[in-house]
Amino acid sequence: MDPTDDRPTESVDKTHDRRGAPIDRPTSARDTALRYAETHISHVAVVFAFVLYPVVYSFLLGTPLGDEFAVLLPRIRTMIAVLYLGLFAMSFDFISGYTGYLSFGHAMFYGTGAYLVVMAANGKLPIVSPETPFFVLLLVAAALAGVLALAVGAVSFRLSGVYFAMITLGFAEVLHVFIQNWDRVSDNPRDGAAVTSPDGFELGVPGIDGLTFEIGRLVGDSVENAFGLGIDLSSAELSYYLIGAVVLVCYFALQRIIHSPFGRVLIAIRENEERARAVGYHTFFYKMGAFAIAGAFAAIAGGLYAGYRRSVAPESTFDLFVTADALLASIIGGFGTLAGPLYGHLFHETLSGILSTDSDGLARYLRETIPQSVLEAELVGIEVLRLVNVLIDGRAELYLGMIFILFVLFVPRGLLGSVRDRLGGTVSEVVAMRVRQWRKNR
Amino acid sequence: MIADVTALSTAIGLTQLPLLTDVTIGIARVVLDGLSKAALFVLIASGLSLIFGLMGILNFAHGSLTMIGAYLGGVVMVVTVTSDTAGPTRLLLFFLAIAAVFGALTAFGAAMERTIIRPIYDRAPLFQILLTFGVVLVLDELVRIIVEFRGLQPQSDWQAAIGTAPDSLSTWYDVAGVSIRGLYLFEIAIGAAVVAAIYLFLTRTRYGLYIRAGSEDPEMTQALGIDIRRAFTVVFGIGAGLAGVAGVMLMWDPRYGASVPLGVETLLIGFIVVIIGGLGSFKGTVVASLLAGGTDATMTWVFQNHVPFPGLPEMVLFVVLVGVLIVRPQGLFGLAEVGGH
Repeated sequence: MDPTDDRPTESVDKTHDRRGAPIDRPTSARDTALRYAETHISHVAVVFAFVLYPVVYSFLLGTPLGDEFAVLLPRIRTMIAVLYLGLFAMSFDFISGYTGYLSFGHAMFYGTGAYLVVMAANGKLPIVSPETPFFVLLLVAAALAGVLALAVGAVSFRLSGVYFAMITLGFAEVLHVFIQNWDRVSDNPRDGAAVTSPDGFELGVPGIDGLTFEIGRLVGDSVENAFGLGIDLSSAELSYYLIGAVVLVCYFALQRIIHSPFGRVLIAIRENEERARAVGYHTFFYKMGAFAIAGAFAAIAGGLYAGYRRSVAPESTFDLFVTADALLASIIGGFGTLAGPLYGHLFHETLSGILSTDSDGLARYLRETIPQSVLEAELVGIEVLRLVNVLIDGRAELYLGMIFILFVLFVPRGLLGSVRDRLGGTVSEVVAMRVRQWRKNR
Repeated sequence: MIADVTALSTAIGLTQLPLLTDVTIGIARVVLDGLSKAALFVLIASGLSLIFGLMGILNFAHGSLTMIGAYLGGVVMVVTVTSDTAGPTRLLLFFLAIAAVFGALTAFGAAMERTIIRPIYDRAPLFQILLTFGVVLVLDELVRIIVEFRGLQPQSDWQAAIGTAPDSLSTWYDVAGVSIRGLYLFEIAIGAAVVAAIYLFLTRTRYGLYIRAGSEDPEMTQALGIDIRRAFTVVFGIGAGLAGVAGVMLMWDPRYGASVPLGVETLLIGFIVVIIGGLGSFKGTVVASLLAGGTDATMTWVFQNHVPFPGLPEMVLFVVLVGVLIVRPQGLFGLAEVGGH
C-alpha cells in the first residue's frame, strides 16, 4: 500500500485536461489564497448563521410575534442537541453514506463515548481519573471507540449488505444488554448513571484559564460582558458555542478526510467495490480505517452529549432507536453528503420542538390561544381539545416517520443531495465558481 | 419445589442419588422451557423468514405487525370475554381472534406491499431496510396514539388482555417431574400446529411451490410464466398475517404481553432466528428457533443458578447471532452464495 498510488498520474499537457478543456490554474500565491477563501465562503456563511442564531432567536422572541416564533424556532437547548446528535449523524453518514456499509449498530460508539465520560467523572474506571480534563476524556473516548470499531469491523467486514447491518446490530445489542446490567455503572444500571460531582465539564482553549468554561445543563458557566464587548452569554448560549466549536472542528476533520485520496477510495467502494479492488486498492483496510474514524467521531458526539446532559441511560445511548435517529437525519439531510445529516437533524429537532409537550410547543400554544368555545366544539364527533392533545402533543415521531417514508420513496438523495444535484456540484464549489466568474468579469 | 423433588426421589427410590435427580429435573425443566420459547420464536420468525426468503427483504416492520396483532387479538378477547365466560368458550374465541387477526393483517401486508414496497424493488437493499424502518416509526406511533386515546399505558403490558386467558392455562401442571404453566404447553401445541400448517402450505399448495421456486431462482421462476409480482404480494401478506398470529399468542403470555415495546423485542428475536436459520430455508427457521429457544432456556437456568447477571439469556442470544454470522454467514441451512451480495 503505497500512499502515492492514490494520486492521478500527471498528464503531459499541463494547460489542458484529458477532455481538452483548459485547466484554470492559480497564477500567484495571492490567487491561491483567494481561491481557498472562495471555496469556504459557504462554510463561513453557515458557521456565521449558527453563531448568530442565539442573538436572532432572542431578538425575534422580543418582537410582537414572539409567542409564534417561540413555537416555530428551536430553543438554544434544542440547538445544542442538534449539534452533538448532528455530529453523531455525520459520523454515521461517514461510514454508511460514503462506503455503502450500513452501520446499524452505530449507537454502540456513541454509547461508549457517553458512558466513558460519566463513568470516568464518577471515578468508576481504571487509569482514567476523575480529574482528567474533559477534552482529554473526549480523546480517550474517541480512541476507545476507534479500537472497538476495529475489533467489530475485523469480523463484520467479511459481510456486506443486509448481513453487515445485522452483525453490527448484533454487536450493539450485546453491548446494550451488557450496559443495562453492568452494576459498576450505578446501583441501578437499567436507568443509567448521573455525574455525582457538582462541577461542570470544562471546554475551551486548553491551558488558558480565562478561555475555559464549564458546560452543562444547570451547572454551566455564564459570562457577563464577554471580552469587554458588552455581550452577555447565558449558560445555555455558552455551552452552545463551546460544543459548536468542537463539532465544527470535527466536521472539518471529517470533510478533510472525505476530500483526501483516502475518501475517494471510500466512494469507489460504495460505487463498485469489486472494481476498486481490481484497480489495486486493498478495500478491507480502507473500510476498517473509515469504520474506526466514524466510531471515534461518534464517541466524541456521545461524550459531548454526556458532558452537557451529565447523565446517561441505556435507551438514549446504546439503543437501536439512537441509530435510527442518525438514519433519519442522514436520509432527510442527504445520504453521503456529510453536512446533510446536520441539517436533517436540525429539521428533526425543529419538528420535535414544534410538536413537543413543552411550554413552547404547538399544542400548548393552541390550547392557550384558541378560544374556549372552539376547543370545546366537536369535530367529527371528537372534542377539538382532545384532537389537539392526541394528534399534536408530542407526536413528532409519527409525522417524522411519514416524512421519512416519503423521502425514501421520492427524495432518495435527501435535502442537501437534491440541492447538489440541482446546482451540479457541492454548494461550496458552485459558490466559489460563481464568485470567481464575478471577479473575472468585474 | 425442593420438597417436591425430594418426595419424588423418595417415591421412586432414588434417595441415594439426589444429585442425579437434580440433574435430570434440571434438564427436563430446561427442555420444556426451551420448547415453549422455541414455539414462540418460530411463530415470531416464520413470517419474516418467508418474506426474506422469497423477496430478500428484511422487513423491519415485522415486529410492529406482531405488536399490532397482539393489540387486535386483545381487543377481540377483551370485548367478547366476560368474567362468566367458560374456559372452552375462551379458547374458541381465541382461535377466532387468531383467524380474524390473520385475515386483517394479511390484507394490510398485501396493501403495504402494493403501495410502498413495490416501487423500491430495483433499488439497493439499503432502501428496503430504510423504508420498512420508516413504517415502524409510523405504526408504533399510531398504536401509541390509539392506545393512549383509550386510556391505556402503551409502555406496560395490557393486563386486561392477559386476564382473558382461561384458568386452565394459568394453572401449573406436572410434566416429567417439572411443574409448567398450562399456557406454555398450549404455546408448544400452537407452535407445532403453525409449523405443520406452513410446511403443508409450502409443499402442498400452488403458492407454496411458487415460493420455493422463487426463493431458489426468481428469474427462472418468472421465465416459466409465473407471476412473481403477485406471489410477492401474497407472501408479504401471509408474512404479515403470521406476525399477527404470533402477536395474538404473545398477548396471553405474561412474559411478553401486548405493549408498544413488544414490537422491537420480537423484531430482534425474529432477526436472530432468521439469520441463524439461513436465507430462504423454512427448515432452517424451525431448527434455529429450537436452537435459540434452547439457548435462552439454558442461559436462564444458568443465570438463576450460577451467574448473577440478569441480561445473560438475551446477551448470549446476540452473541450466538454474531457467532453464526462470523462462522457461517449464510446461516445453518442457507445457500452458500448469500452474505456477500
